[in-house]
Amino acid sequence: MKDILRILIAPLVWLASFSAVYGLHGLICGHGIGGSVFGLVSVPRLLMGGAYGLAVLLQVGLILALHAARFSSPSPFVRFVSRATAWVGLIASVWTLLPTVVTTYCL
Amino acid sequence: MNTLHRHRRLTEIWSSETGARGLFSTVNHTDLGRMFLAVSFFFFLVGGVLAMLIRAQLATPHSAFAGPEIYNQIFTMHGTIMMFLFAIPTFEGLAMYLLPKMLGTRDLAFPRLSAYGFWCYVFGGMMLLVSMVLGIAPDGGWFMYPPLTGPIYSPGINTDFWLIGITFVEISAIAAAVEITVSILKYRAPGMSLDKMPIFAWYALVTALMILTGFPPLILGSILLELERAFGLPFFQAEFGGDSLLWQHLFWLFGHPEVYIIFLPAAGVISTILPVMCRTTLLGYAWIVASATGLAFLSFGIWVHHMFTTGIPHMGLAFFSAASTLVAVPTGVQLFAWIGTMWKGRPSLRMPMLHLLGFFFTFVIGGLTGVMVAVVPFDWQAHDTAFITAHLHYVLFGGFVFPILAGLYYWMPHVSGRARFFRLGELAFALVFIGFHVTFLAMHWVGLLGQRRRISTYLPEDGWTTVNLISSIGSFVLAIGIAMVIVDLVLHAFTARRSRRDPWQAGTLEWAMMTPPPAYNFASLPHVDSRQPLADDPELTLRLARGEGYLSEPEQGWRESLTVEVATGKPDFHIIYPTNTRLPILMAAVTGVFFVSLLLKFYWTVPLAVVGVTILAWRWAWSLGRTTDLPPRSIGRGLTLPNATQVSRSPSWWGSALLLTANATFFGSLLFGFAFLWTVAPSWPPPAWLTSSAPELALGVIGAGLGVVSIRRAARANRKGQDARPWLGLTFVAALGVAAAAGGVILRAPTPGDHAYGATLLVLGSYALFHALLAALMIAFLTARVVKGFTSPSRQAEFPVVTLWVDYQAGASTLILVVAHLPGLLA
Repeated sequence: MKDILRILIAPLVWLASFSAVYGLHGLICGHGIGGSVFGLVSVPRLLMGGAYGLAVLLQVGLILALHAARFSSPSPFVRFVSRATAWVGLIASVWTLLPTVVTTYCL
Repeated sequence: MNTLHRHRRLTEIWSSETGARGLFSTVNHTDLGRMFLAVSFFFFLVGGVLAMLIRAQLATPHSAFAGPEIYNQIFTMHGTIMMFLFAIPTFEGLAMYLLPKMLGTRDLAFPRLSAYGFWCYVFGGMMLLVSMVLGIAPDGGWFMYPPLTGPIYSPGINTDFWLIGITFVEISAIAAAVEITVSILKYRAPGMSLDKMPIFAWYALVTALMILTGFPPLILGSILLELERAFGLPFFQAEFGGDSLLWQHLFWLFGHPEVYIIFLPAAGVISTILPVMCRTTLLGYAWIVASATGLAFLSFGIWVHHMFTTGIPHMGLAFFSAASTLVAVPTGVQLFAWIGTMWKGRPSLRMPMLHLLGFFFTFVIGGLTGVMVAVVPFDWQAHDTAFITAHLHYVLFGGFVFPILAGLYYWMPHVSGRARFFRLGELAFALVFIGFHVTFLAMHWVGLLGQRRRISTYLPEDGWTTVNLISSIGSFVLAIGIAMVIVDLVLHAFTARRSRRDPWQAGTLEWAMMTPPPAYNFASLPHVDSRQPLADDPELTLRLARGEGYLSEPEQGWRESLTVEVATGKPDFHIIYPTNTRLPILMAAVTGVFFVSLLLKFYWTVPLAVVGVTILAWRWAWSLGRTTDLPPRSIGRGLTLPNATQVSRSPSWWGSALLLTANATFFGSLLFGFAFLWTVAPSWPPPAWLTSSAPELALGVIGAGLGVVSIRRAARANRKGQDARPWLGLTFVAALGVAAAAGGVILRAPTPGDHAYGATLLVLGSYALFHALLAALMIAFLTARVVKGFTSPSRQAEFPVVTLWVDYQAGASTLILVVAHLPGLLA
């Protein structure tokens, strides 16, 4: 079962972080959260960007873990597939959450 | 025991009853797979006839062929039948028929569950057909958007048929998904590690997991909408704190993964057949597995691309637009792997290959228009036009019907034991291919000219007349082609000459048996060392028939098989299956009484149906297990295995864990719905919160915790040979405590009909109450089993199953109580 988990973990984390960021976006827009930090960057942008960074970091961590001897599978097949799906998770996180830093958030 | 004697003995043990009686009592996967496929193709024909009626209506302007009311029913039923009664059941039927044979075992994990799912599908499908015959079929479009389908704008029974009938049918999908997942993970030939699984099994596994997590949001949505319609709980009415967009979220959380639930099994068929047609092996097996997995996950992140015109902020649109473009990548990886397979092989243009080429041509176009509508500005122009209808048909017909027709031609010799004799199929393919493209290319065109979907008529001056006529002519050519495919297959089944075994020279295990297949599949179970066991050892079929594999000597008339470790394929348990029974059809019928009672609002029969299902479920579970310890079973080749009743992770545990996964998705969707309404819906906060009650909250939380601890103590007592009953009694009391706390939430919630908040609390409280009572029932069952001697220190498998359910209800109930009481506490 651990091998199935190795294959599924990174896309699962992407799905969770994608949903969480979408939920955070809903909260920010639904409750009118605003303001800025030191007049430099708006609170919503900071929150969204922070969530984006965290999601990407999590995926990087998973890739590193699945390349480490301690966590990778003894089966070469599962090792390959789990690392491939880990890259899917990372690319999906970078691409699908990119709007957090490049588009308007509540228009 | 010689080969013939073994064959006769196994046939005697595994056969269904003869004649029509066998239809109602069979639990054999080959029978049920064929029955599923036969019924799903019947629905395909019904859906096809409805499509012809749509095209007849739209062939000319000012058409008086059908009035708007009937036309609404026709297009709604066409979509509903094709999605719910044809596509998904075809996957279920194909997987049921093929998987045990491909995996080198004798049956699926839970044969009675297969039968129960089949009969739920038949009865649920019949409900929808009856509505159509009576002229009261659903008419709100296959995705049933409120407020159109709410009680104000659709007061009749039409929508109820959809909501209740589809929920009934979805029991079948969930049952099949549990069945398929456990079977693939555990019921494989010894030696078949994950990397040696046939590629179709990987696709089926991914699809089944998607069904388990994709269908619950729709089941929840259907329940909420039916509650609104029947009892006035305003989940989707903005003036009372509801929001009709909640339905769209719940529907498309199911609806978009549904597209991939339909495509991925077909991709499994392609990946299986294409290498055989090209006389080579599949290129990039591991890449394909990774792509299918990635695709499955990505498909859950694109549901909002069906909602681009609902006013969602730009950033939200951009998330889903980005995710929608990304799904093209894993799809492309699979397509290039298939092209590479053709490149390295020697393609042979036999009948299945024609349909595979039809798939390539059609699906690529559908995929590309998919990328077009993933781009928000284009979607704003094309949304709800015939362009979208054409796109989805390119994806679904190209991505499902062509591969399934290829599969039919490929596995027909397996099902019938005959080789094709007549050559109607080639002409039929040409008509289907030409007819399809004429119909739907024209539909793209008329969509870009501005024709809306679902319109019942149009004016000559709209300029759509010629294009619509071309489209309608194409659709009738397509219909003639499909009819010829059916004639060809019927001729094949009844008149063709006998086929030699493995006519395609395939290497997978489903061909390592006589055809048509015997009820037991393999006289002895193979040991697998590669992905192409039959190609590596052409004598395998004969060696298995001679009893040179595992479990070659039937014992005590048992239907026997074995399970393996998930990753390595090392044998771990010995399995004894239940035999033929009418219990599944009976339980499906009583389940049907429950749904029909809700439909007709005969609420006094609902409790009777619930009691009936409970009694039958009790009887179902009671007939398993035994009152004496079984010695380890020698399975041949020097191996002995313990029986599955004597281990902690039995197949029932796996089945429960997967069912709870689906259940958790349902619960998660419910919490999402609550959070969505709270955050997005107008008319919030509600006029009053639930008055918090610390004693009630404490009763529930302590009861939940006590249950978790005491059920473990009961299992421990059983393992040590001590009396488990006192601990079971304590667990029972704990479950009743949780039930009382949940009942408090229900009784004290603000009036549910006044605001969506009260309505949501009612549903959350009912969910907790249902699970607490279910846990109590399971504990009572386990106590009765202990009393009657079905458990012992070694026969322990039932304790972990009940523990799973107790843990789940404890976690879910605690969360519900906190969610219900917290606003009041904070206020």
